[in-house]
Amino acid sequence: MNPDDDPPPLDAASAMRLIREQRAATAHSLEPDPRLHYWPWGVAWLVGFGLFFLRFSPDGRTFVTMPEWLPLTALFVLLGAASVVFTVGSARAYRQVTGESARRGGWYGAAWGLGFVSLFTVAGRVSDSLPHDLAGLLWSALAVGLTGALHMAGGAIWLDRTLFRLGLWLTTINIVGVLAGPGWHALVVALAGGGGMLVAGELARLRRRNLP
Amino acid sequence: MRELDPVIHAQARLRVVATLSTLGAGDRITFPRLQELLGMTAGNLSVHLRKLEDAGYLEIDKTYRGRTPTTLVRLSRRGRLAFDEYTENIRALLHPDSKET
Repeated sequence: MNPDDDPPPLDAASAMRLIREQRAATAHSLEPDPRLHYWPWGVAWLVGFGLFFLRFSPDGRTFVTMPEWLPLTALFVLLGAASVVFTVGSARAYRQVTGESARRGGWYGAAWGLGFVSLFTVAGRVSDSLPHDLAGLLWSALAVGLTGALHMAGGAIWLDRTLFRLGLWLTTINIVGVLAGPGWHALVVALAGGGGMLVAGELARLRRRNLP
Repeated sequence: MRELDPVIHAQARLRVVATLSTLGAGDRITFPRLQELLGMTAGNLSVHLRKLEDAGYLEIDKTYRGRTPTTLVRLSRRGRLAFDEYTENIRALLHPDSKET
């Protein structure tokens, strides 16, 4: 084919439309539906911490009888599933694109992984010396605190307002929950944290839909 | 107003450049993924890429990922400038009264 067969756009308006549509289609392909990023985490928090609240309720009570291992197991299974969905989704969207974005994503992922290893090491070392309810509070408050900080950092890296605000929100409710005490912390994190992630996913989707 | 850049002012090549401009400045994309994003045949896309490369608008690297030969494409600094300038010119044509900075 002779490259000069490539005809020019009909007029300025169609050139602009072509640019817009092509850029939007590319962005769409590179960034999957944001709900896929936020919602699995939101559901995990809502259900996982919700079970925590029902089993290890404030003032040492139990609102719903269930095995002691169930809330933590459910939380970890759901978080594991969420991280698989998240990782597979991101890797698929950015497949066959190499360079700074891939490196940024990889380092950010490493920050999450290593951050949690360090956190669990500390909490595991300390929590045996604490009463049961305070040990639970220590684990979840550290985890939510680190999650909030990493969301804010992610917002700073990608200049993503939704991500940054979600981090700010998680940090705030974590402090409120800790001050309210064991049991209440799980309730606050389940409703405001898990709910906040569901809302953030919807906001991110709406924001993306409104892009030119 | 300057004349529209003839290399970019062509439907298929404009789509190629618009797609590449969406990637971060430090990112490169493989030929097959670019082809998938554009929905062009390999032969067709190769011709347009060569023309853009000849104009100095693309950096094309042939490399290996493991044992598989891979072609990586990105917009050069010059290509990005040319695309920005082209977009500005189109905008000026559409809104002759408003002066964009």
